[in-house]
Amino acid sequence: MNSAQIEIQLIASLVAIACAIPGTFLVLRKMAMISDAISHSILPGIVVGFFITQDLNSPLLILLAAFTGIITVVLVEYIQKTGLVKEDTAIGLVFPALFSIGVILIAKNANDVHLDVDAVLLGELAFAPFDRLFIEGTDVGPKSLWIIGSILLITITLLLAFFKELKLSTFDKGLAASLGFSPVIIHYGLMSVASVTTVGAFDAVGAILVVALMIAPAATAYLLTTDLKKMLSLAIGFGVLSAISGYWFAHWLDASIAGSITTMLGFIFLIVFLFAPSKGIIAVMYREKQQRTEVSLLTFLLHLKNHTEERERHVNHLQEHINWQKVRAKTVLDLAQKNNMITMNKNIVSLTNKGDTFTSKAIDYIITNEDAQIEDMKEDFFLFRG
Amino acid sequence: MKEQSQNKKTPNYSGVLAVKVDDLTVAYNYKPVLWDIDLEIPEGVLMAIVGPNGAGKSTLIKSILGILKPIAGSVSIYGKPYNKQRKLVAYVPQKGSVDWDFPTTALDVVMMGTYGSLGWIKRPKQKEKKAALEALEKVGMLAFKSRQISQLSGGQQQRIFLARALVQNASIYFMDEPFQGVDATTEIAIINILKELRKAGKTVIVVHHDLQTVPEYFDWVTFLNVKKIATGPVKDIFNDDNLTKTYGINYKVSIQE
Repeated sequence: MNSAQIEIQLIASLVAIACAIPGTFLVLRKMAMISDAISHSILPGIVVGFFITQDLNSPLLILLAAFTGIITVVLVEYIQKTGLVKEDTAIGLVFPALFSIGVILIAKNANDVHLDVDAVLLGELAFAPFDRLFIEGTDVGPKSLWIIGSILLITITLLLAFFKELKLSTFDKGLAASLGFSPVIIHYGLMSVASVTTVGAFDAVGAILVVALMIAPAATAYLLTTDLKKMLSLAIGFGVLSAISGYWFAHWLDASIAGSITTMLGFIFLIVFLFAPSKGIIAVMYREKQQRTEVSLLTFLLHLKNHTEERERHVNHLQEHINWQKVRAKTVLDLAQKNNMITMNKNIVSLTNKGDTFTSKAIDYIITNEDAQIEDMKEDFFLFRG
Repeated sequence: MKEQSQNKKTPNYSGVLAVKVDDLTVAYNYKPVLWDIDLEIPEGVLMAIVGPNGAGKSTLIKSILGILKPIAGSVSIYGKPYNKQRKLVAYVPQKGSVDWDFPTTALDVVMMGTYGSLGWIKRPKQKEKKAALEALEKVGMLAFKSRQISQLSGGQQQRIFLARALVQNASIYFMDEPFQGVDATTEIAIINILKELRKAGKTVIVVHHDLQTVPEYFDWVTFLNVKKIATGPVKDIFNDDNLTKTYGINYKVSIQE
């Protein structure tokens, strides 16, 4: 690895971390789309900022552009508050309008601005190491590294200071307000961080990837944990993992780094979406299948409880009578036997004491819907796990 | 120390007003939801706010707590504006007002009740955790402290909310439909805790839907339908006349004494 490669990976990783932190809260606040809006509508801010400062990495430009991000949020909320259109429509109206102003500004001044729409959308991570910061003539590293590093430092400081406030106002705005933690201040604080991060990351990774880095790692982490702190760490981990693996994927393919990182983000999400232990698609399908079997089991046990006569309890009769296919009937019989709920004698099925108690308890639960009694049953059966 | 003395005020109609609402008008998009409400709630009552859907019951609570901005009128808590008296007040919002899939545990939600006394930036410590565990025990949910909140039943979630209010150790408790969607056991558990609060001299104000249980659960009642219809002791004013005025149809109190 040469130093440029290390620098690119370092920049990509810092961007990933800086995005994952506000991204986690955006996902939990169901505001993922607002990051898309911000990432596009900061374009006019960047262009105007560039006219003024003539330097894409100037802090003033970052603030100006971030301010456009805040304007987006304010406009979206204003339009939404009129009640004439819904939030998603408001977002869809505001950001293309602002973005197109940026596009026109670039096109009109294309000669003297070294910005083009491709670079804005996809970023130029590969070139980041060439634009270096010199302090008193000494090369201290790529400018983007310093910018995103400073933004990350601010983000982490704010997160550590206001973690409790962020959590509270994200979970329960009303309580936050009544306890004196203004949800409006926290909301705009978060939006400012998201805007500044977007601008800071923009030059390196482009508008599309910024959105992906904010949303995908958080969405992936959400499927794996039920703890906010773990969700934050996992989101950061997935972001960095995608950044580094994406870089090498691009290296191998000789393709766009931003595109490859986004691909990795999508790939990791897909894997987790399929295989997450409790919220993944496969786990959910397995659980539903189990539940169907357990409902069948309960139906079967209830039938046994209601019918003492042998003819009703013959295995063949069960198949005809309850109208189950052989496989289903066998699964249910096996499950019941495994749990010592039935005994079989010459193909005549009878309930054991345990089976009898279980059936009464289960029926009781279904009728009264009281939780306390069946806490112990939850361990054995999916059906009662809510 | 100051809080202590306030908590120890003589219970039950000491003559002190816990909450006073003057000329309160609240509107959504210029449609008044509450109109010129004057309300005095004495300290130490267990009060139900009743009224039909859209009568402004939740709005009244939210306006008292400063969550909604009224277009006219004022509210005072023990004689001072709400934002000076936050620590005296605890609020239990409607269960449906939050996302129960939020990645957090029962204990953590209860801990949120301590945030108000902590103020900005300070983190909860052992003392706050201990208070939260005690509150969980009071509502019979200690065994569920580490459970993710979406894995709790509706009744259990409501108990968690109640515990979160208890941990604030307030003087006035506002609750928005705490009995909504809970099983009978939880309803009894909750009302017992509310009665204990009253016994301890606290004032409890509950948005309530089930008219049948008003005389059994509460000693004070406010009838509300955009305007205030009546307020006072249940035994004096919970009658057919006020029910009819509030709900607009002929009502018979069908409750046996």
